[in-house]
Amino acid sequence: MNFLVLIGKYFFLMKTVFSKPVKRKIFWKRVLEEIDGIGINSIWIVSIVSVFMGAVLALQVATNFESPFIPKYLIGFSTRETMILEFSSTVVCLILSGKVGSNIASEIGTMRITEQIDALEIMGVNSANYLILPKIIASVITFPILTILSIMLGIFGGYMVSFFTGIVAIPDYIYGIQVFFVPYNVLYSIIKMIFYAIIITSISSFFGYYTQGGALEVGKSSTNAVVASIILILIFNLLLTQLLLL
Amino acid sequence: MIEIKSVYKTFADKIVLNNVSTVFEPGKVTMVIGRSGSGKTILLKSTIGLSSVDNGEILYNNRDFFKSNIKIQRKIREEMGMVFQGGALFTSATVQENVIFPLDLFTDWTKAEKLKRVNFCLNRVNIEDANNLYPGELSGGMQKRVAIARAIVLNPKYLFCDEPNSGLDPQTSIVIDKLIKELTLEYNMTTIVNTHDMNSVMGISDKIYFLYEGQIEWEGVSDDIFNSENQNLNDFVFASEFFRKAHSSGTINGRMVKQ
Ligand SMILES: Nc1ncnc2c1ncn2[C@@H]1O[C@H](COP(=O)(O)OP(=O)(O)OP(=O)(O)O)[C@@H](O)[C@H]1O
Ligand SMILES: [Mg+2]
Repeated sequence: MNFLVLIGKYFFLMKTVFSKPVKRKIFWKRVLEEIDGIGINSIWIVSIVSVFMGAVLALQVATNFESPFIPKYLIGFSTRETMILEFSSTVVCLILSGKVGSNIASEIGTMRITEQIDALEIMGVNSANYLILPKIIASVITFPILTILSIMLGIFGGYMVSFFTGIVAIPDYIYGIQVFFVPYNVLYSIIKMIFYAIIITSISSFFGYYTQGGALEVGKSSTNAVVASIILILIFNLLLTQLLLL
Repeated sequence: MIEIKSVYKTFADKIVLNNVSTVFEPGKVTMVIGRSGSGKTILLKSTIGLSSVDNGEILYNNRDFFKSNIKIQRKIREEMGMVFQGGALFTSATVQENVIFPLDLFTDWTKAEKLKRVNFCLNRVNIEDANNLYPGELSGGMQKRVAIARAIVLNPKYLFCDEPNSGLDPQTSIVIDKLIKELTLEYNMTTIVNTHDMNSVMGISDKIYFLYEGQIEWEGVSDDIFNSENQNLNDFVFASEFFRKAHSSGTINGRMVKQ
């Protein structure tokens, strides 16, 4: 029952979010701000995580496939495929839900409890639209770019580890990352990322927007936002994989 | 003019507004007084439509707010300025950005025109050289004054202030009170102030409503407030030692308060 009410409230909020902005110019200025806050500010964490993950993937594949019958280029190949299929979209988003999601929920939650949202409403601004829609748009624009970046940096991580440890000869690794390339998989990854972007930003905004009480409740909203985003990402990962890959 | 007609509001089982009717007139400072929890904020939030009511009407120059569609509601809201209990300045924006914000939204002025208006309003509330500071860098009194500047930047017809003096020292309170009074007269605004500060009541009120447990128990002007028969009002007014003494000595602000 409670759960259904929550879902109803979410879609009610989204209806308000997706309406016409007050002024175009102000709206796009907000989108740019959010591109900076949500996208640009996430580059560093995505980069670090991806380089390390690519390196570890290459190492693990190398230690597991020590048979002489398995060609070495598979190290490059599997590093690339894992990054594309799963890591650079789903795992990166699980991390981003912690960073971006909690940030959004606490920002909007604080605005709620300090009456800043009321102040917007009283000025005749659709506060949900003004605060939330730019976040959703910014994430839909930047998250796919982060995916591409993550894929490239993951492959680079594998390259670095091959270079320094010699687990695989560089030409083999280079061959591996080019062989059997299915461009559709990148598209699949980007489509997933767009869904995750909407999930993280809208769910976190939702929890922030309906915060009631004080600082403690802002903390709770932000925890709830992260937990809900993670669960939804996992569910959508399953659904979208069924739909897109089979 | 704002008319509130027989407004009821409940939270769960608790009645917080019980058949409240008031009239707020232009060019006047109307004060809603009452103890903490008596329903002042809820009444104000219902008046401006931030909180729904269970029953009753709220008319802005004969336009029924709750029966209007969202477009008209937003239109009416553009005519409102509000100073929230905590100031509610946008913490991620500078003083200038806070005050210019309504202008960005609702005017097509050039940047220079907007800045001129912003500086005029900031000047009006005696804030100088603070344009690029963030609200966190201002004192409570300055924040309140910036909030007033933001509230009046669009020349509102209606000004709402929720306890503009809470947390301020008596001298700063008087400055803010005078400002509210002057602005009301200058722009013929319909001003509504929530307060439990008797000094403000005596200082600037043109009309007073006393709210007790969600009901208007008394209405009148400051000259009559000491002579009421209402026990709850007397308890409220004479809670302060100062007013008790002043009352028994017979004068307040040089005014006779005893027949
Ligand atoms: N969201 C809410 N849910 C339930 N009860 C509420 C809610 N908001 C306010 N109330 C109740 O309504 C009553 C009136 O509250 P209100 O905030 O209007 O008081 P107030 O007169 O403004 O007090 P103060 O001077 O402390 O600001 C209080 O008893 C409060 O507990
Ligand atoms: Mg209050």
